[in-house]
Amino acid sequence: MRPNRRQQALVHLSLLISLLLTLIPWPATVQLFMPQWTAMVIAYWSLHDHNRSVMLLAFFYGLMLDILMGGLLGKHGMALVALSFLMLKSAKQLRMTSFWQLLMMVLVLLFNDLLIRLFIDWVSYGYLPTWQDFLPLLSVVFIWPWLHYLLDRMNSFLRHR
Amino acid sequence: MDALSQQQKLTQSPLFRFILLQFICLSLMMADKNSQLTQPIRQGLSWVAMPLIKVVDWPQKIYQTVEIAITRQAKLIDENNALKQELLDIQLKAQRNTTLAAENQRLRDMLNTARELPMNTSVAFVTDIAQTQKRQHVVINQGQADGVYLGQPVLSLAGVVGQVDVLADHYAHVIVITDPAHIIPAEILRTGLRTLAYGHGDGLQLKEVPISADIQAGDVLITSGFGNRFPRGLTIATLADVSVSAERDFQVANASPGVALNQLTEVFLVWPEEQSP
Repeated sequence: MRPNRRQQALVHLSLLISLLLTLIPWPATVQLFMPQWTAMVIAYWSLHDHNRSVMLLAFFYGLMLDILMGGLLGKHGMALVALSFLMLKSAKQLRMTSFWQLLMMVLVLLFNDLLIRLFIDWVSYGYLPTWQDFLPLLSVVFIWPWLHYLLDRMNSFLRHR
Repeated sequence: MDALSQQQKLTQSPLFRFILLQFICLSLMMADKNSQLTQPIRQGLSWVAMPLIKVVDWPQKIYQTVEIAITRQAKLIDENNALKQELLDIQLKAQRNTTLAAENQRLRDMLNTARELPMNTSVAFVTDIAQTQKRQHVVINQGQADGVYLGQPVLSLAGVVGQVDVLADHYAHVIVITDPAHIIPAEILRTGLRTLAYGHGDGLQLKEVPISADIQAGDVLITSGFGNRFPRGLTIATLADVSVSAERDFQVANASPGVALNQLTEVFLVWPEEQSP
């Protein structure tokens, strides 16, 4: 039970840090490439957490993102819950697959996350997406492996103590 | 395995949860879009969000403090002298202004027109947090607890900034006048022509000026006070260029706002009527 609780703490800590990373202001050019930090962390935990409460977490942190960004309440929530559901469904296979296949799968799911949010923007106030909206996926390619490795190390460290 | 012990109960299945949560999200979005029902949720969660904003804002505050501490004294003295000079100029102008205001009031009394309502203002600081939203928002450090209300006009020294769009307890998101979803009722100072100024990304655009109307580049746009959101007579922007629309039915003018909207540090909140905090 004890390591499990520590693991929970790590889950919350990583999600909070991902929220902070989204909030930090960068120059406009860097901001264009800003990856979806929270979505990536949610993806990791849906892949590796063994209890099924990740979807609730995704919902809660999605709402937090909406509050912080001043958007429509539930927009990020919807995108993140969908992401974590799709990830959970194929988690067993994905844990076994190779590095590149996992990366491709994560990219597809994050693309889906972007699409959901752009669609909601379009429905709610007629926002028309531009090609710049998909630039974050480029930086995801570089950041996901490191994030995955880092969280893996911390996770296994906590489990084996 | 825990999958067996769950006995395949419906409520435990991920699909059920997924559909339930998506449904909640959908209803939240619809409630948020169409009414104020979700405001309590927003305020509740804003208590959790506030520390996060503070944490991001904090290093920048430290940076500013350090910057002041390091700045050389000679430079500070220069700055101080310049500011004193500026203050003198402004006080002189203000003195002329009081006589003008009194005269204006007398004339208005003679004409029996409505008095200009005094404005209550308060200063708010812009919190520098990133916005991944596709909207042009700035976040200010005052919220409902300080008497801010939805749709409240927000100004800066150089002109109109925007209006309060999303409200939480201790901070608020202000939509900027250049956001493509924002429209502000405007008036051209030189001719008194009233029209609407649409947000257009970097600047503003007047789309509905009649062909016969007299407008030219360099004209100053002020708020017309229509719609009862913004008080009358605040500077919005100056017209940069005027052309005829593609269908040749209207004149189209682009305007650039007087405020450097991405370099705001402090803004003024205005309570136009006696709605003081």
